[in-house]
Amino acid sequence: MEQPRPRGTGFQTLQIEEYVVEDEPFYMPLGNEIALFEAAYLQKIPVLLKGPTGCGKTRFVEHMAHRLSQPSSVRQSNGSEVRPVPLVTVACHEDLTASDLVGRYLIDAEGTRWIDGPLTRAVKVGAICYLDEIVETRKDTTVLIHPLTDHRRILPVEKQGLLMEANEGFLLVISYNPGYQSALKDLKHSTRQRFVSIEFDYPPMEIEAKILEHEAGVDAETAMSLAKLGEKVRNLKDHGLQEGSSTRLLIYAGKLISQGVPAREACQVSIVWALSDDIQVQRSMEEVISSIFE
Amino acid sequence: MAEQDPRLESIARELSQFPAAVLQQYESAHGKARTLLSAEDLVTWAEQGAAISRQSVRAWEAATDYYAASMDVLPFLSFANFIPWSNYGADLCQASPTIAAAYFRASSHTLPHLRPRQVAGWSELGKSLSKGTWKSTALACKFFEVSPQMVPTMTFPEMERFIRFIDILSQRSYDLATECLDLSQQVFAQLGDSRDNFISLVTTLADANGNWREVKDCFAVGSRAVARVERTQRGRFLSLAERLSRSGQGGVISFLRDGSQGLGQLDYATHPVIISLGERLITIAPPAVPPFFAVVPSVLGRVSTPQLETWFGEGARLLGENLESGLAFFRMESAYSEELLDKLSAGVELSRVRDVVGLYSRALAGNDMEIAPSQELVDKGIGWVSGNHATIEGTTLYLPALIDGAPSKAENFAKLKVIATHQVVHQEFGSFGFEYEKPSTLFRDLRELVQHARHHIRDKSHDEAEAEPETVEEAVDSGPVSAETGWVTDMQGFFDVFPERKMALDIFTVVEDSRLDARVLREYRGIRPAYRRLQAESLEERPPIIEMPAQQGLVEFLIRVSLGQRTKLPVASYLREDAMLMAKLTLRVMRVGATVEDAAEAALRVYLFIAGIPNHFIPGNQWVMVDVPEDDDYEDPENIEDLLSRLDKPEPEEQEQEEGEGQGQQPYQSPQDVEYRGEFKPELVQLLEEMKEAQRQANEGEAPQLTREMLEELLAQSAELEQGGDYDLDTSATAKNLMREVGMKLPPKEAAQGQGPFIHIEDEGGPLEAKEPHTSVYDEWDFRAGDYRPRWCVVREKTMSEGDVGFWQTILQANSNMIQEIRRQFEQVRPETFRKIRRLQDGEEFDLDALVEAIVDQRLGISLPDRVYWRRNKTDRDVAVLFLLDMSASTGEAIDESRGGPDEWDAPGNPVDYMLWLRNRRAGDGPPRRTYKRIIDLEKESAILLIQALETLGDKYGIYGFSGYGRENVEYYTIKDLNEGLTEKVHKRIDKITPLHATRMGPAIRHSVKKLDDIDAKTKVLFLISDGRPQDRGYSREGVEKEYAVHDTRKALMEGKQKGIIPFCLTVDKAGHDYLKTMMGDMGYEVLSDISMLPQRLPELYKRLTV
Repeated sequence: MEQPRPRGTGFQTLQIEEYVVEDEPFYMPLGNEIALFEAAYLQKIPVLLKGPTGCGKTRFVEHMAHRLSQPSSVRQSNGSEVRPVPLVTVACHEDLTASDLVGRYLIDAEGTRWIDGPLTRAVKVGAICYLDEIVETRKDTTVLIHPLTDHRRILPVEKQGLLMEANEGFLLVISYNPGYQSALKDLKHSTRQRFVSIEFDYPPMEIEAKILEHEAGVDAETAMSLAKLGEKVRNLKDHGLQEGSSTRLLIYAGKLISQGVPAREACQVSIVWALSDDIQVQRSMEEVISSIFE
Repeated sequence: MAEQDPRLESIARELSQFPAAVLQQYESAHGKARTLLSAEDLVTWAEQGAAISRQSVRAWEAATDYYAASMDVLPFLSFANFIPWSNYGADLCQASPTIAAAYFRASSHTLPHLRPRQVAGWSELGKSLSKGTWKSTALACKFFEVSPQMVPTMTFPEMERFIRFIDILSQRSYDLATECLDLSQQVFAQLGDSRDNFISLVTTLADANGNWREVKDCFAVGSRAVARVERTQRGRFLSLAERLSRSGQGGVISFLRDGSQGLGQLDYATHPVIISLGERLITIAPPAVPPFFAVVPSVLGRVSTPQLETWFGEGARLLGENLESGLAFFRMESAYSEELLDKLSAGVELSRVRDVVGLYSRALAGNDMEIAPSQELVDKGIGWVSGNHATIEGTTLYLPALIDGAPSKAENFAKLKVIATHQVVHQEFGSFGFEYEKPSTLFRDLRELVQHARHHIRDKSHDEAEAEPETVEEAVDSGPVSAETGWVTDMQGFFDVFPERKMALDIFTVVEDSRLDARVLREYRGIRPAYRRLQAESLEERPPIIEMPAQQGLVEFLIRVSLGQRTKLPVASYLREDAMLMAKLTLRVMRVGATVEDAAEAALRVYLFIAGIPNHFIPGNQWVMVDVPEDDDYEDPENIEDLLSRLDKPEPEEQEQEEGEGQGQQPYQSPQDVEYRGEFKPELVQLLEEMKEAQRQANEGEAPQLTREMLEELLAQSAELEQGGDYDLDTSATAKNLMREVGMKLPPKEAAQGQGPFIHIEDEGGPLEAKEPHTSVYDEWDFRAGDYRPRWCVVREKTMSEGDVGFWQTILQANSNMIQEIRRQFEQVRPETFRKIRRLQDGEEFDLDALVEAIVDQRLGISLPDRVYWRRNKTDRDVAVLFLLDMSASTGEAIDESRGGPDEWDAPGNPVDYMLWLRNRRAGDGPPRRTYKRIIDLEKESAILLIQALETLGDKYGIYGFSGYGRENVEYYTIKDLNEGLTEKVHKRIDKITPLHATRMGPAIRHSVKKLDDIDAKTKVLFLISDGRPQDRGYSREGVEKEYAVHDTRKALMEGKQKGIIPFCLTVDKAGHDYLKTMMGDMGYEVLSDISMLPQRLPELYKRLTV
């Protein structure tokens, strides 16, 4: 196994299961999602995070991984030893196969060698395994996680003829963006019903403004204007826009603004052009921007 | 009796041989002539008459008239001139005594207008018309008959030309010539200096090449037309018409009428310019002149005169290149023409920015926002009256159709944006969400106290006062009217508080607008500059306060404060304190966090202050200028509760008016509107909401709760319903319209809607608009002009009604074998979607063959093996297909009968003929059970079979049908939407597919293309199933050129192709080869020789196309 390179060389390589969220990621709760997640973690119930793109699902998982790694976390009261919880994230795509998750044989000088996939590694070390945008994967791949998500908590590794029992700290978290995928790519019910769901949405304007202030480093007024813009642009969803402006995009705009890019221009590049190619829709958004920003 | 000259006696004797009238007339004239003439002349005079009478059998008639006329003529005609005059008559008599008689009769009133030497010419003119026939004689007589009126209206040379014209015309038709003579007097009287041109024009028309039948219309229209043109330009205008006629161009009359109407709408100063342009145009292409004059007013409504010339120059250039496209340009039936104008003009037309403004408003308001021109709301007759003001009602934002006050487009757009923003924030900041019971945040709530006070008063005076309006209480028992409060809407409840509703509405409007504007300026920093500019402009337009009576002046004072004026506000010195309080109230609602209830409380207080002030005019020396500081340290005066009694004054108007008159008390009048703020009618908007809600409940089976009577009562009280204005609104009609608006029940005749009879709009005229929901407008391609006709067709999308599910099942059962076969075929297609790809660097598992080779290679030390995996690669089948079924009347043909050529069932252009034609066509399939199969039945059958295939494949598909009548009624029926699953509803809809009207393919295709374009798929197919060439009323040029339709269809398909859609046309029209080649070009098509093959062939084709 490679050693992490010393800091200062610009990059660091980690084994996937060694990634622990060290610094606390900023997260502003909108409801009691933190408590829910903690409860689910303690009870080993897999979690499904539902919500539009860029509303903070991934950030939430990171935040929770960090939170649960703290010595003072809820796990303590349960009597178990508080070890950092690694976070294994897999961005799912439509060509993601079972082998990609579980592992495969590689060939080397001696012949073939088995190498664990990210899911297997997470199962072994007891990490939170976060499958982002799960519906993008093929249906045969999705089925693979079923035995991990019920009381058995096992991962069959067919090619090796093994059954792997999940480590104590293992938790499967998947995310799903309803409405964005086509009907063909809907999550199967047999999959859905193995998770508790936490719904996410874009935060209300005041909270979003706070998030923007923190994340983008803009002043309160600009943050408020950006949040307002976010709200207005989201009103266009399904009316020319497939998706409203995510908090992430607003943060980008805010970051550009705090770098001295004029507000209108920053919004243009990070929101208007990002969201639509339709000239009418673009113009409408530009008008909203020019109403809000000087 | 004086002694008689013997010569005279013999004349008298001679005359006595004729009918008695001659002698009688002679004798009575003799009496007068004797006094005027010398003895010798008298004999000459008498002898003249006798000579005439001798000429022929009926010449005595002329003689009679000679004697009669001479009495009138002699007094002003010297005898030297008299003789020639009578000689001319005698001369005429030789041609015809009747003519001579007419000549003599007309003389007395005509001669005064002629110089003596012209008399000969005059009689000659009459003579020239006489050709010896009966009709020509009549015409010549007519000439003399009308001469007394005609001669004074024109110069002699003009008359000569005119009679020459009449002569020419008479060769065509004597009746016409006679009529023209009849009309001439009145026409020439009005023509003034342009007579000469007019004569030229009609002469040209009567000439060999001209269209002489138009002459009469020319007389009928001419004078009125000319009157609309600026005086000095009339001649030029007429000669333009003449040149038009000379060019062999018909339609001179309509040019005179429409062209002059066009000019009539313009400023006189522009007439010379326009006519010069017309003169230029006629040298290039005469046919372009009439359309140019017709559109000029609308063009000048958008651009300045120099810009018009630029536009014109471009059109002239086009005419030089291609006549058709130039003509379309000047008819404004070309997209290029429109675009150019738009580019040139500084004005912003709503129709052009509608989408952008719509989305913008939607973004701000957070719910659906339709944009419509204000006039449309006015036309609904539901209480709004100004076609120029913006307003908002429910989910529709009404804006002025054109904004052109500013010199540049950007500024005008900014203005439109401000106007739209102000309206939309009514929604965003909750103006219409007013609740009577909801406490305000910045004030002590006086509303409750008020209501108590009023109830108290009311109870006390209940017995005695019949005059007290009890309408509100009567309505209490019946439904949505709250039993507690006694009103339908909260806004109504609020306004009920005030005796003077109109003033209350004005005050509330100012205060609420201040709140909204302040909030916009705070929260929308970007729009501030434009907003402030408009406020400043509005301030400048305000009328002077010092000319207003006290109450109105104070409202005006507040309007100015709300528009941002803080200094030098004129106030009567004794009202200074009150005014400052009101200003502070207004400033307070401009604070962060103020709600509509705060505005209401502030308005209530302002009302209390103003109501206590007598509405006098204020003497000039009492005015002072005040400054309003930017703080809002308002506090209720201690006596505020006492002030509430000002609300209790019963029926203030009558009393005040009567007693007040002596003291100069004025009735309250609303100050002038602030233009950008538009019309604010919170009570009506809330009422409409309430009605819609009531209607929704009624639709769900609950009893309707709002009756028309209640509505009328309510409207009668509302201050928002202005009387007068552009439209006279009576409450009854408004109530009816309101009910119609929300879809409440009305007598069936009035509520007609839906799939039933279609509305016919006149085909003439320019671009259309999609006014109703679910309609879209598309351009149409004019292949001759080589340009689009902008916004030419309206597609109305409707969901097919549902029929019987039995049809679906019957077809499935009858074709079970074929369905199995189809499924089997298509299932074979499916496995291809996962293909095992070998020898990959990366994959699911080792590819054993490759691995063995690799290991062998490795052992041999040849190379480092890598490509040893395989994986299933998904070759994504991502197909979306839209089937467009022809539902034209011709699909009702029985397929067994021999079909005639497709041209046999050409749709007539005339609407009446069309309806007859349609009825005849449909008569055939009257009985509900048919024994024969029609084309449409096969289309339906094919659709069902195809659905089986498509479901197997999992492709995304939609099935639509189209038909229609005319460009404003292209019907587009959804049978299965692209995004809809296969449900029983779809099964039922298929049953309902029936032959309807005509086939305007272009717009239907464009609509389909739009639908496909909105869908996300790798392969998109537009599958058109038709039974003949595209045709529809007006889907051609001049109603004859069928190619127009073919070319438009082709263009529509090409547009689709450019968007990556694969078009395919399957037709069952055997004669289809000829036009399909033009229509489809290199795009795929197939002509089905045997129509019964359709159900089998369709899936096959589909497979070929997409696999």
